[in-house]
Amino acid sequence: MRLDRIWTVARKDMSEFRTNKYIIYSLVLMPILIAVVLPTIYLAPFTMFAQPNEPFDINIPDTDIRIGETFNEGTFANVTFINCNLENVVAENCRFESCEIRSSLVRSSHVANTTVINGAVMRSNVLNVTFDGSVGSDTRILGEDTEQEGFLFQFIGFLMLFFILIPAIVPTVIASYTFVGEKLNRSLEPLLATPTTDAELLAGKSLSIFLPTMLVTWLSFIPFVLLVNFLATPIIGHAPLPDLTWLIGVFVLAPLFCVMSIALNVIVSSRVSDVRASQQIGSLVVLPVVALFVISLSGLFTLGPLVMLAISGAIGLVDVGIAYLTLKTFQREEILVRWK
Amino acid sequence: MIETRGLTRKFGTITAVDDLNLKIRDGEVFGFIGPNGAGKTTTVRMLCCLIAPTSGSAHIHGLDISKPEEALMIRGKIGLLPEMPGLYESLSAYRNLDFYAQLYDVPKGVREERIQKLLQTLGMWERRDDPVGKFSKGMKQKIAMARALVHEPDYLFLDEPTSGLDPEASLTVRNYLLDLKKEGRTIFINTHNLDDAARLCDRVGVMSTRLLAVGTPDELSGMFWGNTTVVRLRHIAPGMIDAVSSLPGVTGVKQEGSAMLVDVGYPEDVNPLITKTLVNMGGEVLSMGELKRGLEDVYIKLLGERR
Ligand SMILES: Nc1ncnc2c1ncn2[C@@H]1O[C@H](COP(=O)(O)OP(=O)(O)O)[C@@H](O)[C@H]1O
Ligand SMILES: [Mg+2]
Repeated sequence: MRLDRIWTVARKDMSEFRTNKYIIYSLVLMPILIAVVLPTIYLAPFTMFAQPNEPFDINIPDTDIRIGETFNEGTFANVTFINCNLENVVAENCRFESCEIRSSLVRSSHVANTTVINGAVMRSNVLNVTFDGSVGSDTRILGEDTEQEGFLFQFIGFLMLFFILIPAIVPTVIASYTFVGEKLNRSLEPLLATPTTDAELLAGKSLSIFLPTMLVTWLSFIPFVLLVNFLATPIIGHAPLPDLTWLIGVFVLAPLFCVMSIALNVIVSSRVSDVRASQQIGSLVVLPVVALFVISLSGLFTLGPLVMLAISGAIGLVDVGIAYLTLKTFQREEILVRWK
Repeated sequence: MIETRGLTRKFGTITAVDDLNLKIRDGEVFGFIGPNGAGKTTTVRMLCCLIAPTSGSAHIHGLDISKPEEALMIRGKIGLLPEMPGLYESLSAYRNLDFYAQLYDVPKGVREERIQKLLQTLGMWERRDDPVGKFSKGMKQKIAMARALVHEPDYLFLDEPTSGLDPEASLTVRNYLLDLKKEGRTIFINTHNLDDAARLCDRVGVMSTRLLAVGTPDELSGMFWGNTTVVRLRHIAPGMIDAVSSLPGVTGVKQEGSAMLVDVGYPEDVNPLITKTLVNMGGEVLSMGELKRGLEDVYIKLLGERR
């Protein structure tokens, strides 16, 4: 394998792409759709109507700290209670940690790991609070996602799957032109007569598809992250992207899917002699990605970093197998004698 | 040198090339003539290490086409003009050639100079930046020819270089081939244009799955027809034919208008006798010469015999 030869072949193919409007369209439009249009259409209205869940800005001075005491009746402000029992009190701007509060009223406070019985909590930040015969009004729940946040995360995950879809679909378009195109144009024969090995040619042609596809995918990831963060941060309270799961998805799984798509499309191209037929059959490679969509939407299991790595490993193995098959398909003799 | 021994290629049950034995010297221009489906392209593809022989062997420059590492070296020494030009239509003529020159490891400076020279020789330099897709068939053929030469190969394989070209384009190509011939390259031309073959080639092989005959165009016609002397007379008087027929060394006489076609063994011995005889009988000899049988006659006869 000579890298300079591979690069020569890849560069030639890429300069051909520049003159093919279908390839340019798919390289430009698809990412714009996925990185800008889809998040805007789906996330913007959602964020407009969603309730914000930023914690209230509550400042409690550390001057008055009560530990393990019992209070019956009274009005408190600017106090921190730890391990206390309170009954019939009114508290404002206080911090409660691991307390039990009965028949009381709590306002503008920070309540954590506490049980509230027959009382009310208003305009407060709450964390792991048990309400027993009590009401919480205008509370901001810390540390765990609200229902709408959960939905938002799922939705972002759904949009993220498109970043695996682009690298699977774009090669279908490009490969149909480069491989089927070269075949129809009979330009492979003189190319095969040069002192270039089959593997170098295959690698060069594959690289010419891989590079622009992944470049476009990764470039569109940046505006996507910015846009999603801009829209979702007010609801969630922090920037949801990039998170580890999707970093693995975009930078490990996506290129693996891209390789798989290229390899499959080379095999398809060797069997059909029509650009459109090649695209139709080749686009079947999106099926595994669609399966991922379905699984993630069904909520069967959540896509965590480990699941993402496991899927990447599996696709990586599939890639090795298909790459081997492709190398067998892409041989001089095969191309000239059997490629139809 | 190109040498094949028992070179055979089958496609399923079809035998495309059967037991081909050939030796082509360095610097020779060899014409491979035969009808469609004769196995010419298949032979060239085998020699260019593109497809493998079913049996038999071939060596180019002492390298074995069947050994992968040697095949790689062979491919560096050969240039191929395939049946279809197969250029990248969206790329410019220059870019097409530059790409191939890079694959053949032609250094950058040399590359530019050589491409310019090739394109100028072929009259295509002005069009170097136009996409090849806009070119006529003849122009594409010229670019494809330049592509086969961009690394100055020792061996050049041309598969029907003038087929489908208009007379002017094929004349350019033919003249260019004559120039190449002077440069001393070994050239293997597949063609069914017998005129080209006769004009360009040192030797020709007549192919129809098997190699039917091989030799210089003259040798080939000599193989089928002895020497024929053509005698033109003012007019042929009665008895002249019989008189010539009975001369020693004459094997047959035919009359064509006022000319006599005399088949002779050794023209040097017999021609003076013929003249003397005819003049003695009062014949006025206008001219006397040797009948040339063209390659076309050889070709028709060879392929006719097979049917
Ligand atoms: N890839 C192939 N598959 C099957 N048969 C082939 C193939 N290539 C050539 N042939 C057959 O081999 C024979 C010789 O073909 P070819 O070498 O192209 O002849 P020519 O170049 O002299 O016209 C023909 O009968 C042709 O049909
Ligand atoms: Mg042919």
